[in-house]
Amino acid sequence: MKKFIKNCVLFFLLLLIVGEFVVRFTHAVSDIPRRTIDDTGIQKYFTNQTGYWKGGDHKWKINELGWPGDLPSSFDKLITIIGDSYIENFMNPNECHQGPLLKKRMSEYNFMEAGRSGVSFIEAMEISKHLDTLQPVQTLIYVNDNDFYESITEIKKMRDITQLNLEKDQIIYGEMKSPGLKKVLYNWKLLYYFYNRYPINFSNENKENEIKETELDKTLKFKNEILELFKFIKNNYETYNKTLIFHPKTNDYFIKLAKEHGFNTIVLDSSKDNKSWTFDYDSHWTCYGHEQVANQVTIGLNEYFKGKGQ
Amino acid sequence: MLFNSIEFFIFLPIVFAIYWLIGNNRIRQQNLLIAIASYVFYGWWDWRFLFLILFSSLVDYTIGLKLESEDKPSKRKALLWVSICVNLGFLGFFKYYNFFVDSLVDSFTFFGSELSINTLNIILPVGISFYTFQTLSYTIDVYNKKLEPTKDFLAFMAFVSFFPQLVAGPIERATNLLPQFHVKREFVYKNAVDGLRQALWGLFKKVVIADNCATYANMIFNNQEDYSGSTLLMGAFFFAFQIYGDFSGYSDIAIGISRLFGFNLKRNFAFPYFSRDIAEFWRRWHISLSTWFRDYLYIPLGGSRGGTKMKVRNTFIIFIVSGFWHGANWTFVVWGALNAIYFLPLLLLNKNRVNTNLVAEGKYLPTMREVFQMATTFFITLIAWIFFRADNVTNAFVYIKDMFTTSLFTTPEILPFTILALVAFFTFIEWLGRSGEYAIEKVDFMKRPVRWCFYFLLVVLIFSFTGEQQEFIYFQF
Repeated sequence: MKKFIKNCVLFFLLLLIVGEFVVRFTHAVSDIPRRTIDDTGIQKYFTNQTGYWKGGDHKWKINELGWPGDLPSSFDKLITIIGDSYIENFMNPNECHQGPLLKKRMSEYNFMEAGRSGVSFIEAMEISKHLDTLQPVQTLIYVNDNDFYESITEIKKMRDITQLNLEKDQIIYGEMKSPGLKKVLYNWKLLYYFYNRYPINFSNENKENEIKETELDKTLKFKNEILELFKFIKNNYETYNKTLIFHPKTNDYFIKLAKEHGFNTIVLDSSKDNKSWTFDYDSHWTCYGHEQVANQVTIGLNEYFKGKGQ
Repeated sequence: MLFNSIEFFIFLPIVFAIYWLIGNNRIRQQNLLIAIASYVFYGWWDWRFLFLILFSSLVDYTIGLKLESEDKPSKRKALLWVSICVNLGFLGFFKYYNFFVDSLVDSFTFFGSELSINTLNIILPVGISFYTFQTLSYTIDVYNKKLEPTKDFLAFMAFVSFFPQLVAGPIERATNLLPQFHVKREFVYKNAVDGLRQALWGLFKKVVIADNCATYANMIFNNQEDYSGSTLLMGAFFFAFQIYGDFSGYSDIAIGISRLFGFNLKRNFAFPYFSRDIAEFWRRWHISLSTWFRDYLYIPLGGSRGGTKMKVRNTFIIFIVSGFWHGANWTFVVWGALNAIYFLPLLLLNKNRVNTNLVAEGKYLPTMREVFQMATTFFITLIAWIFFRADNVTNAFVYIKDMFTTSLFTTPEILPFTILALVAFFTFIEWLGRSGEYAIEKVDFMKRPVRWCFYFLLVVLIFSFTGEQQEFIYFQF
């Protein structure tokens, strides 16, 4: 029995090493860049990191400012692009990012992306405040329904996301969630592989949220909270040079409020396209999807600039 | 609980550790643990049906004891019939009630009358066909005085519910398995390693071969009208490997795990796709069921001792009953009948025992003749599997009709090279290891580093190619 257990343990340990090697060699999981929180409370990435996306087809990189993608060659006539994982866009190669795609279509402007998965609308506004030091001519913020709900603590408190507490009229900056555990998880690729493949859910939090969100979509029962959020933004941020790019199927109520509070808006529409914009296995845009988005954003922006006489 | 689930990977080491910590001098305690573990294993799916197993165990245990004390043949026969009626009654109710009602209503409709009987919303208890046959074998063997009835109910409970083979076999004979619950089980290093190796191979068959083939088989069978003849042939090919990988994989895991606990189960598959005729195929496929029917149905019916008529009748009975055992659907009956048609010429020409040895024994490659024989047998088996897999008999006939068109000679629309490469790798390993009890039994000739690398390769493939977790097909039987 002793020999059996000894050999089982040895086999298991060697298997861990072999597994780690195989996972790394085949890029069975994506490399995850390390995050940090800067002095202003914004969560971004450690600068100058690179890594492979799952499958190893392409690499992602974090630029000198701590955001994914390349920095523009010049900050003149700069348009900044802010958003969540759709803009972070690790799943597509660099040429399929909104920055390079828009640059191809509007060559007279320079584009800079600031994307990070999980960014809420209020957090995007906070990021835009800091990027305003670069004096962009326009800021594009890509949003969907959830970004508004997730901006308000009274609707859904999320520790790792920057939110607005309406009661205190105060921004609550996101904290790093289990940074130590994440460091281990992201460096021990085999463990991360299993974590992805066989996710463990210890709480019912997500299930409850799923139900809540469905109800939210239907009834929009937090109308007042959303209105308060827009009022807060109007009072604390510049909105005149911000364009909100709404994902397809965003609730009209948000679009209406955005217009009323001084934002320029572009509403994306994928309904007329026979080809899907998203991957089969998740809701993020494919390279094709990003191209279609860039096309629609270009049309919207050109009209807006024309109207402004720029 | 599924063998290919996280729960089982936690459950097994715990039970294994407690089992051997109890010590092999405490047989009763070990049996108690097996019984409890088996009930937990089964109850994980649906605890309500545990009462069914318990009741079945109680009935057969009691009847076994009564049979021993009863000398009067008529009373003994009556006791046997009680056991048969109770066991087959449960099986009939849970598995076949709705089928019989539907068939009755359909036949009345066919003759122009209306019959109104409602079907019931019945859940089929997982593995009921397996443990029912196992307990029946006990009573019949006690009745035939081939086995002394056990006086240890705990051992009997553990025998009926033994978790490695509870839900999908192999269907163990009481004469083989039950006595093992009465004697001291030794932990033998070689057997335990062999068990783990067989379980690993079984898991590979299930997770890598069966589940991935299932994806394509389902895609093609569920949309059969959209595909060319060549793709339909691919669909049948994938299903053939799905069912083999699934079922023989389960058996390998069951046999392997049993060895970890010091038990020896009977072999259930012996490389059936390398058979040179259908008789050989049936000696190599689901051996525990085939021999069960042979011993408890075919031979009591007279076997092949009578005239031609008797042979034909008995062959059809055994194959059709075997088909019907698989499920309450006419497709299984046709599948059984088709196999009887394949088998009969061999039986009538007395050629059903021509190929009893191993194909290309002692050689690396078969002769051209053997290749032709194996290919033919595989092909006719493939045709039969279409009935087994189809939703109904009409669909099966349409599938075959659509398959044999000129489009059979076009390139299939679905040609997943990775899966085909895996099937080729699997077949290659099975061919190399066909003289063993299972394909990788004899890897001991390799040096440990090479051998372990091979195991690592299997584990990596299992994790890399894990399809969607699918239940074992034979759970439904």
